[in-house]
Amino acid sequence: MIESIQLRVLQGDPIVHDVHHASLPPLFRGMPELHPEKCPDGCKECQTVCPTNAISLEPLSIDLGLCVFCPLCEQQCPEKAIHFTNEYHLACSTREQLVVTGTQKRITPEIASEKIRKYFGKSLKLRQISAGGCNGCELELNALSNVNFDMGRFGIEFVASPRHADGIVLTGPLPKAMAEATFLCYDAVPSPKINILFGACAISGGIFKDSPELNRQFITDHPVDLFIPGCPPHPLTFITGLLDWLDRK
Amino acid sequence: MKTLNAQNHQPFRIKDIPIVSVQEFEGTLRDAMLTHARMIGLFGLESSQPDTTVIALLSNPSTSSLHLIGTKFSAAQRKFNSLAGVHHQTHYFECELAENHHIIPEGHPWLRPVRKQTVVLDDQPYSMYRMEGEEVHEVAVGPIHAGVIEPGHFRFQCHGELVYHLEINLGYQHRGIEKMMLTASPNQQSILCESITGDTTIGHSIAYAMAVESLSRATISLRTQSLRSIAEELERIAMHLAGLGGIANDVGYAIGSASYGRLRTMVINSSALLCGSRFGRGFIVPGGVRFDLSDSALEQLKKNLSLVQKDVSTINTVMFDATSVLARLDHTGTVSGEWAKSIGMVGPAARASGIELDTRSQFPYGAYRYSPLPLITLSTGDVFARARIRSLEIDESIRFIFEQLENLPSGPIFNELQPRAKESGVISIVEGWRGEIVHSAFTDERGDWKRYKIKDPSFHNWYGLGLALRSEAISDFPLCNKSFDLSYSGHDL
Repeated sequence: MIESIQLRVLQGDPIVHDVHHASLPPLFRGMPELHPEKCPDGCKECQTVCPTNAISLEPLSIDLGLCVFCPLCEQQCPEKAIHFTNEYHLACSTREQLVVTGTQKRITPEIASEKIRKYFGKSLKLRQISAGGCNGCELELNALSNVNFDMGRFGIEFVASPRHADGIVLTGPLPKAMAEATFLCYDAVPSPKINILFGACAISGGIFKDSPELNRQFITDHPVDLFIPGCPPHPLTFITGLLDWLDRK
Repeated sequence: MKTLNAQNHQPFRIKDIPIVSVQEFEGTLRDAMLTHARMIGLFGLESSQPDTTVIALLSNPSTSSLHLIGTKFSAAQRKFNSLAGVHHQTHYFECELAENHHIIPEGHPWLRPVRKQTVVLDDQPYSMYRMEGEEVHEVAVGPIHAGVIEPGHFRFQCHGELVYHLEINLGYQHRGIEKMMLTASPNQQSILCESITGDTTIGHSIAYAMAVESLSRATISLRTQSLRSIAEELERIAMHLAGLGGIANDVGYAIGSASYGRLRTMVINSSALLCGSRFGRGFIVPGGVRFDLSDSALEQLKKNLSLVQKDVSTINTVMFDATSVLARLDHTGTVSGEWAKSIGMVGPAARASGIELDTRSQFPYGAYRYSPLPLITLSTGDVFARARIRSLEIDESIRFIFEQLENLPSGPIFNELQPRAKESGVISIVEGWRGEIVHSAFTDERGDWKRYKIKDPSFHNWYGLGLALRSEAISDFPLCNKSFDLSYSGHDL
């Protein structure tokens, strides 16, 4: 008993109290800051090294739905026109918002409809579907329940059954073998329900987008409520994205 | 023994691999496995031609040597005599060969799908093993599980609470990585290898980087080797803490689960100090590493690890002394040393059953050649041993990292690579936190990949989980599963 209390004392106060103003390690790659004006004529260095073809030129832009947040473009650029900042507010509600140009500071999702906020504003239960996720995204979603992020304090939790859920969080590029199970699981969630794509693989297929082993019909068929970019996304990107979307203070 | 003898990370010419008749191939493998050799690879070199050259890869940990031998199958002759009945470790390799290349292991006791769930040999329907009898019942779980976890299908044959047989059907995560490796650009290959399994990003990317570097005959600076091994041990500590937290959670020991969870966060944030990613993404590249360790990051890393070292030892003492915890761990999910050896288990799970197997000391590479780590084994092979060994490995890994940080060599962190040797191959073995990772890479006449074969430690150990469940209560499945902590995506590729 005394030992357990000692362990509790050791825990201290590990929680991230203010999820909107956490400080992340200096090298953490979040929101990219782009300076197209620095691009020399005809330079394609960043586009050439990008493993997922996330970069477009004239003007310079990065599609965070494809980006795996590797350091290649930043390190390769001769003019330092690309810099990944520490900003982790990256979630958004439309696919277009994920295409970043210029020096926009952060991405904020549009606020959800009144109906969604009324239904899910105070309590949101989610069913996670891993469809080809490499366990990077899954570990970060699991981390949301640990003592550091403790998403439960906002009334947001993962549940075991889709029948108990208000929506799904999809990870992975959707291999063929998971196509049917994904449809079945989504259909088992009662309406109204929300659909969240977590990570580059779910949003665009990521590094696997050209693999012949995928079946992304589910994504084509269903509207998406929230995109969480990253490889894997930081847990705080998920929490802040949901809170902003639900207009929670 | 007529084989090509090779070393870990030492390139060889493909034409030096002896190609023998199918009978001689079987005989050589059979004899070798009678004398301590382990099978760590069995795969076709070509993916689409009518003729297939099959390479078998054996490892002998006691002599730190690798052995390769090959045979040819034509369009008309695609059969060999299965070895799986006697040498169970070849069972799954033969199934994989049959699935990928339609080469039939005749007399195989249990030819089953590896990544295709319902068919074997392209078109023959496969039914899972089924027990018949009064009061016998079947429990099916998955592919989607209750937790936030990857997909796979489990089928239990039970009588009451007792499990007689567990069959594990995987392949739901198959993304086609091995095929993609052949056409991907070098930058894409790095990301693909980081994504084989996202919890072993560092392990697989070191295996990939060292395969490329060996074929390019590159010299890697001591500083790079040291930084890589620090990242590798951080990954090991983080995942061992995650595993211990999971085990604590599964036995209802909440304070343990909360404590390990907090410490894991500190460790993965330390990985982010090194390279910006909590999983070590973007850190390792063929030729070196992409980030040097700054003085401030080094100080912070030391501070974090000192705290983790202190707290983890307190928590371990309390948890492994608690009767309520031990009652659940002791004698649960036992895999005997004999079984573990016969099915070729690897990693901490094998070491918990008393098998001496650790790439870091038996096939040392990088910084492990200069700073050896002890090979820790336990003997009971139960959930307790699999949990305890992970706690012991955490202590050693922290000690190792401190040793590296104290004597961090100076030097460049990146060297430009020469083109890869043509028509050559290399076996790159790395000890990931789950165990032995094997990347077997072969180049064609232009130096491009001809074949890139990946073996995650989970490939061996899933069968171990099946055995651990025999004669156990089905309610102990989550605990046993967590104690093995296997990868679905690493198996499915």
